[in-house]
Amino acid sequence: MSDLFQIMNTTKQAILSHTTAISVTSGNIANVNTEGYSRLRPVFGSKGTISAGAVDIEVGVEISTIERIYNRYLETQVVEQAQDVGYNQVQSDLLGQVDGIFDESDGGGINELMSAFWNAWSDLSASPEGYEERDALVSAARNLTQAFQERSRELTDVQADANETLASDIESLNGYLREMADLNDKIVEVEITGGTASDLRDKRSTLLKTMSGMIELDYYEASDGSLSVFLSDGRSLVEGGVSHALDVVVNPSNGNYYDIVFESDPGTAINDRIHSGQIAGLLSVRDDLIPGYLSDLDDLANNLVSAVNSRHGQGFDLNGDSGGNFFSVGSGARDMEVDAAILADSGKIAAATTVDGNGDNALGISQIQDSLIMKGNTLTVGSFYSSLVSRVGGDVQNASRSLEHQTLIQEQYETSMESLSGVSLDEEMMNLIRYQMGYNAAGKLCAVVSEMMDTLIALGE
Amino acid sequence: MITRVTEKIKFDLVNSSLFRVQDQYTELIEKASSMKEVNRPSDDPLGTGKILDYRSSLSYIEQCDGNISTARSWLTVTESKLTSVYDILVEIKETALSQGSDTASAETRQIAAASLETLIDELRSLANSKLGDRYLFSGTRTDTEPFSETASPARADAPVAGSGNAFDGTAATGGSYTGDANRTCVVKIVSGGAFGTATYQLSSDGGKTWGTDTAVPGTGVISLGDGLDMTLTAGTADLAAGDLFTVRAYAEGYYNGNGEALSLEMAKGVVLEYGVSGEDVFTAQGASGGTDLFAMLEDLKTALEGDDADGILAQLDTINGSIASVSRYTAKCGSLSNNLDILEQGNEELDLRITELCSEIEDADMTKLITDYSAKEIALQACYEMSSRLGSLSILDYIG
Repeated sequence: MSDLFQIMNTTKQAILSHTTAISVTSGNIANVNTEGYSRLRPVFGSKGTISAGAVDIEVGVEISTIERIYNRYLETQVVEQAQDVGYNQVQSDLLGQVDGIFDESDGGGINELMSAFWNAWSDLSASPEGYEERDALVSAARNLTQAFQERSRELTDVQADANETLASDIESLNGYLREMADLNDKIVEVEITGGTASDLRDKRSTLLKTMSGMIELDYYEASDGSLSVFLSDGRSLVEGGVSHALDVVVNPSNGNYYDIVFESDPGTAINDRIHSGQIAGLLSVRDDLIPGYLSDLDDLANNLVSAVNSRHGQGFDLNGDSGGNFFSVGSGARDMEVDAAILADSGKIAAATTVDGNGDNALGISQIQDSLIMKGNTLTVGSFYSSLVSRVGGDVQNASRSLEHQTLIQEQYETSMESLSGVSLDEEMMNLIRYQMGYNAAGKLCAVVSEMMDTLIALGE
Repeated sequence: MITRVTEKIKFDLVNSSLFRVQDQYTELIEKASSMKEVNRPSDDPLGTGKILDYRSSLSYIEQCDGNISTARSWLTVTESKLTSVYDILVEIKETALSQGSDTASAETRQIAAASLETLIDELRSLANSKLGDRYLFSGTRTDTEPFSETASPARADAPVAGSGNAFDGTAATGGSYTGDANRTCVVKIVSGGAFGTATYQLSSDGGKTWGTDTAVPGTGVISLGDGLDMTLTAGTADLAAGDLFTVRAYAEGYYNGNGEALSLEMAKGVVLEYGVSGEDVFTAQGASGGTDLFAMLEDLKTALEGDDADGILAQLDTINGSIASVSRYTAKCGSLSNNLDILEQGNEELDLRITELCSEIEDADMTKLITDYSAKEIALQACYEMSSRLGSLSILDYIG
């Protein structure tokens, strides 16, 4: 047997449930522009039935849970993709600078200065006793050596830049690790009582995405709701409420650049265990790509210096003396310089193959541009340099293409995730109308029951 | 399947499309403003490498062209000087013919001798002509006046020690030079030490080619060949590797230059000798033989002064030989100039080809650029249009 009070109670539950639903909707609407917010959905549930003779009667409604709409699989995709994007992003940024260093489209680069240098020798061969030509040659040679030094310095600057960024990345990563551990603690605290800490979880997801953009990581969620984060080799970064901070230490055998270590184990570098994310990108630019360009540049400078010096030594200067070094012998591009004796007196340039002073040695030196002295005698200095520039250009192009590609994929994953978890105003409005109708109906029901009560009371008078 | 499209998706989509189109749009603007397809190595890595190679080649060609014009002006001046020499020699030949005949008298011969002296001066100044600061006819010793006023006997200068020499003893030239041409001998110490242990190499062509390692004799006397030797007297410091001694030896006559030729690179890998040495044209020295012009003139003058008709006629052969030699080398200048013309033409063609190839890679195709530009402009407009309408359509306008 149902009675009026029973109905009244059901009505109350309906009103309360719909109010809660509207309040959840309002929260969704309010967070329509919140980054990382996952929409919530009220789940209406029946309170069960009671038996009324031959039939069962529904006895009410409740909001059984408020569901956080989220897909862990999509999250994994987004997190992994963020690692690739972070890696390519930083490579593309840093290599963009390198692209500028080797930009010769407006002239003034090593290629042009090298031509000017050979041409100055050729000019000298036409007029070997002219001090004007000798001084012009010295200045062309100085321009060339300065260009080499400058390129070398600029590349080293990019390297140092990557190194500094690495240190500050590690510092912010440590902050994130601590924050992640804190969030773990709070989430466990909230959820142990059976609730869902959805805003904390949103925050943690966003944090996870930020972290994975920086470093390659794996993670899993424990049954208590805490998230454990590992390096790809399994060493733990965050375990529940405990974070293991990273640190950087200077490595003297790698140009005093930083090695990444665990704070608790400063003796073991973990550089080679990081293969993705911004930090891996920085490492690859710093330890791989730029040293490659620098060593090519050094090879070029060294071979040029030794070829010119060796031919120069066979000749005779303006005074009939044997030629000394034309370039001072250094360690590579960074300290390439015209020999001090030549700088002091351009008459010491050995332009002649005889003490009588012809220009044949200068001619011979100018023809070094045609001799295959690079890469095991397979390339001329000019073509070696152009292939270096091509390689740099190719690397930059690859990095920016991968970035473009990976970003597109990431956009797609994020769209899928947003499509699932994001707030749609259309939907919220429709829900609002739906819940409002439910609320109105329950109100109407209340009025009907109240009228019935009046009727019942009147019966008794 | 219906995808849930949220507000964020819509705005993000418009945003990223805008960025993409803007990016492509600016790239086109950059290309249009620089008129270049390749503005940095990453725009076209392979192309950039090629462009750099092409540019080096172009610069190389330009340099060769510069060398060609240097050589050509040298040849032109040489040719004109030789033509003048030819004219004077013809005049002298006429004088010799007329003064050698019976119609000439002692007086006319005296007068002819006087005017011959003027002609000799003129010839000497022609043979000593310069282009800029360089003597045309002294071989590669372009800073040395090639012809003296008077003939000298065969001789050798004192050795010149290199300024970096460690050896501080003295060096003197000895013997008498019997060679047939001017020569610069260089002694280079290969391994240092005292006399008897130190070794040297000898070059008879100024240092271009070197003989084998030879020990410095204990006496310190090094034979330089052709009757010439150099005597070293020990000082406090021994000979050291790299020490140089230069001895210049001159054959009998007027000439102070050498028989070497100047050379320049006229096209990639093509090194050409240009100019003619005084040794070849005006002397009997060296491998090419020839006639000694100034000795002949001196003899002719003596014969004229001595009223010696036979002596005058005896010079005719030599005069003819000189005339032949001068015209031969004049012709050589002409043919060298022709060679240069051919090389220059080759360079020009190459330059044109390479410029074309370079332009194909580097220069922007304006027609394509403008078409692309308009297409991107439309895309950008569409994006803007979309973004402006994005907020205007909403469910909120329909429920109240």
